[in-house]
Parts: sequence; C-alpha cells; structure tokens
Amino acid sequence: MAPPVEYYLFLSAAVFCIGLFGILTRRNALMFLMSVELMLNAANINFIAFSFHHGNLTGQVFSLFTMALAAAEVAVGIGIILVLYRNFQDMDVTKPATMRW
Amino acid sequence: MALFELPEWAALAPTFVLAATSLALLVIDSIDPDSTNRPMLAGTATTGALLALAVTGWYLVAGVGDPNGRGIVSLFGTAQVDGTVFGGQLVVDQMSLLFTFIFASVTAMVTVASYDYLRGHSYQAEYYSLVMLAATGMSLMASAASLATVFVSFELLSLSSYALVAFLKKNRGSVEAGLKYFLIGALSSAVFVYGISLVYAVTGSLQLAAVAQAAAGTELVGVLGLGVILVLGGIAFKTAVVPFHFWAPEAYEGAPAPISAFLSSASKAAGFVVAFRVFTLAFPFETFLDLGVDWVLAVQILAVVTMTLGNFAAATQTEVKRMLAYSSVGHAGYALIGLAAITGSNSEIVLGAGMMHLVVYGFMNTGAFLFVALVEYWDVGRTFEDYNGLATRAPVASLAMTVFMFSLAGLPPFGGFASKYILFMGAVNAGFWWLAAVGAVNSALSLYYYSRVVKALWFEDPSDDVGKVGIANQPVGLYAAILFAAVATVALLPAFGPVSDTAVSAASSLLP
Repeated sequence: MAPPVEYYLFLSAAVFCIGLFGILTRRNALMFLMSVELMLNAANINFIAFSFHHGNLTGQVFSLFTMALAAAEVAVGIGIILVLYRNFQDMDVTKPATMRW
Repeated sequence: MALFELPEWAALAPTFVLAATSLALLVIDSIDPDSTNRPMLAGTATTGALLALAVTGWYLVAGVGDPNGRGIVSLFGTAQVDGTVFGGQLVVDQMSLLFTFIFASVTAMVTVASYDYLRGHSYQAEYYSLVMLAATGMSLMASAASLATVFVSFELLSLSSYALVAFLKKNRGSVEAGLKYFLIGALSSAVFVYGISLVYAVTGSLQLAAVAQAAAGTELVGVLGLGVILVLGGIAFKTAVVPFHFWAPEAYEGAPAPISAFLSSASKAAGFVVAFRVFTLAFPFETFLDLGVDWVLAVQILAVVTMTLGNFAAATQTEVKRMLAYSSVGHAGYALIGLAAITGSNSEIVLGAGMMHLVVYGFMNTGAFLFVALVEYWDVGRTFEDYNGLATRAPVASLAMTVFMFSLAGLPPFGGFASKYILFMGAVNAGFWWLAAVGAVNSALSLYYYSRVVKALWFEDPSDDVGKVGIANQPVGLYAAILFAAVATVALLPAFGPVSDTAVSAASSLLP
C-alpha cells in the first residue's frame, strides 16, 4: 500500500526549501548550482508522485524533461562560472560587483 | 481560393525557419570554425529572420489562426479530462502570430546591427546561432498551449540568452552580467517548474484549457494558489517585473548592446505572451476568483509597483544604458495593465492594448538600445554628459533616437502614444481608473529622463569625445537597423488600425 500522497508534498516542499536556503546563504557558485538542482528535483518528486496518484503518465514524462533541462542548465552554468573564474580568479558570487545592484 | 492546402504543421513555419537558420549557422561553423566572414554570417541570420517575418506576415494577412478566417490550428495530440477533449501541445492563433511578428522583426534588427558590433570578435557563428535559437524559443513560447511546452521553450530562450549576455568573455562587465542573469534565471526557473508541479498535483493535467477545467471546484485551493503564485514568479523573471527585476539593469548594462536590445524587447514580449496565454486559458479569473485564488489582485499590485519603481529608478541614473534598462522595467508595468484590468467588461480591449503596447515597444525600445550600441561602437562613453552634442556629428541617428525617446514617453505623433492611450483608456473604462492614473503619472515622470537624452544630444555643447566620431566611420548595419526601427515607430501610428484589430481579435479568442 502506497503512503498517502500528501507526504510527497511535504517531502518535496522540504527539499525545495533546503535548496532555497542554500541559494540564499551560499556564496560559492558551485554550491549555488547544487542548490538549484535540489529545487528542480523537488519539482520532480511532485511530478512523479502525482503522476502515480492521477494515473496518467504526463508527470513522469515531464520529470524527464526537467532532468534533461537541469543538465543543460548546469552545462551553461559551469561555462559561465569558468569565465567568471578566469576573469575574477574566484568563484564567490558576491565578488563581481563592478556594477551596483 | 487557394490552389493547394498546406498541411497543418506548416502553421509553425516561422518557428521552423528560425530553427533551421540556427542549425545552418552551426553547419557553417563546423565547416569553417574560425570564420570571420561577417557578411555571410550576419546575412544568413538576417535572411532567416526576414523569411520568418515574411511568412508570419503572410499568415496574418491570410487569416491563419483567425477564428473567422482559417481557424485556430492546434497541433501535437489532444488532452482529455473527464471525457472533454482539449487541444494539443502547441497552438497557432493570432496572438502567437502577432508575437512571432515582433520576435522576427527584433531578431532581424539585432542581427543587422550585430554585423558592425561584432567586428573583430571571435565566435561570431555561435553568436548568431544562439540569437536564432533564442528566437526559436520565443516563437515556441508564443505557441505553447501546455505547461510542458511553455517550460521547455522558456528554457530554450533562457539558456541561449545566458550565453549571449556573457558573450564578451574577456570583458568583466559582460561576465558579471551573465553570472547574475544566470543565477537569478536558474532560481526563477526552479521556482517556475515547482509552481507547474503544484498545479499538476492539483489538476493532473498540463494542457492549459484542461488545467482550467480540472481546477474548477477543487478542494486543494492552498496548493493550487501557491502553484499559481510560483508560476507568476517565473514569468515575472522573464518580463523583468519587480520582485524578479534585479537582473535586468545588470544584464542590460553588461551585455553587448544588441543583446540588451534583444532581451529587453523580444524576450520581455515572450514572457508576456506566456503570461497572457497561461493566465487567460489555464487560470481564468472567474474560476479562480470562485476558488479564492485572486491572482488579478497580485498582478495589479505588481503592475503598480513595477511602473513606479522602474520609472523612479530610471530618473536617478547617470548612464544612458542603465536608464533604458530601468525604463524597460517600467514598461513591463504598463504592459501588465493588460492582465491587471482584465476583470472589466471590456477585457478584450485591455488585453489587446497590452499586446499593442508590446508591438510598438518592440520597435522603439530595440531602436533606443541600438543607438546605445552605435555610441558604444564609436567609443564615446556611457553617461548622459558623454552624449552631449552628438547631434552635430550624427544628426540622422540622433533624430532617430529623439523619435524613440518621445515615443517611449508616449508623446504624439508616434506609435507609443497610440498604444499607451488605448491601454490607459481601456483601464479607465474597465473601472480601474487608479491603474491608469498611476500609469499617467509615471509617463509624465518618464518624460523627464527621456528628454534629458534629447537635451544632451541636441542642445549641449559637444564634449571632446564626440569629436572622435568620424564621418568616415559610419557603420552601415547599425544605421540601417536604427532607421528601420525609427520608421516603424513613426509608421505604427497611421498603421495602428490593423495592429489593433489583430490584437483585439487575438485577445477575444483567448477570453471566454
């Protein structure tokens, strides 16, 4: 017997909040990327759990899309972090501040 | 009477043309990796954009997507909820064609202008290829009829634009802008997809009309409401609306100026087309007000805050490019009125007016940023003072910039006047006089900082830098793009009838 579907909502909300917390507190660009991955995977938990709950495959297929996009996003992100490191000799996201916010 | 009927998928031809151009540029790049043959690369990209523009224009005239003409084309499967059959993953209607028209025009102007701007840069083929990929993503966003296609096309646009903003790899400003754009973009796409997952959790469907059907009468209002707010947040990032606008001034200032033009006009319009379609089809306000999810109120607050903050911040800037960046945040607030005043009886006029404003904005704002690109090309400087007396050396371009500034401020006799007038009148007639009042006050304020540019160009004594602007150094591509934008901005006032007819008709087919 499957656990109630609300549990998955709590799990995904917890993962999402951990990711958000990481984004708000970490200064290393790579940790930032990992936190974004957590948030994307929180969405995947919802998609797969509710795909089972609703009895259609839409959510499962969408979670495949999300994974592929997460990979693409990391590829572009690592590229940008690489040029950041070459220009600023650092991966601290608060260092580049030649323009004011 | 047509001699032959095109297959249904041909309705997506503009998108296919843009995608094929991008791939063709990659093929050129793989044959000659270090190509600096600027005429061929810029020519290929511009040809593709103009071809897409021509096909879009032909479809609009031929009545593709018009419910009273050839009908709305729905593609790629159907969705079913409780036995009701809904459309597929993509749809081609007047709204998608109207916005594809904006995207193709802006892309054409940007690729023509990049011909001069990229002189001496490496990786030019990749640059044009990314621009065309981003344009493909935008035109797919305009056609997306399911949250799945919305998200995938949204990311296609986002990923291409991160790379484009950070294109000047050895320029610290460009890298910093790319980093900030990427960080905020990655965060907001995670927020967006989590919102979609919550909406799916409640409704069990991703097709927009099916979502609306399944949402009616649901008990999980809290989860659904949170999902709607998170989806709104994701869209707010793409349109540079206030809580997610922090990237905009940085990205526009640091990016190569043609890319700033591209992002602030076309990418913003792409965000709005998604907002218009998702919030009218998937989250219709009648159903959601009954449920107690009042997203209209949230949009109204965002519109007022965005207009005010954007315009006040623009008024305090010392650099022209940054002023334009904040002014584009302010214009996102004006376009949001299209959704914020939707509960009135004239909702199709208001929504249509939002679209009209984005059409006009696509030309005038692109032109203004391309003028900045021209000034950067001459290496004159970035502040208002550096622009002093430019009109003595470059009167034609300065005249065009004057047109853009007054049109952005909403003065007659330019296109910006007509769209703002219809937008504010629509809001007043819908009973939201306070939205129109805030908009009018902000427009008056915006006249102050737009006319500062005009004053610097025409009435101040030339600075030393301006003397460097040689008559011999006249970039043909930048001039052509700026003049095209200026002519379009002026011509849109007499030609406003067809634009407004199309926009109102597109809006009425979205509304019940």
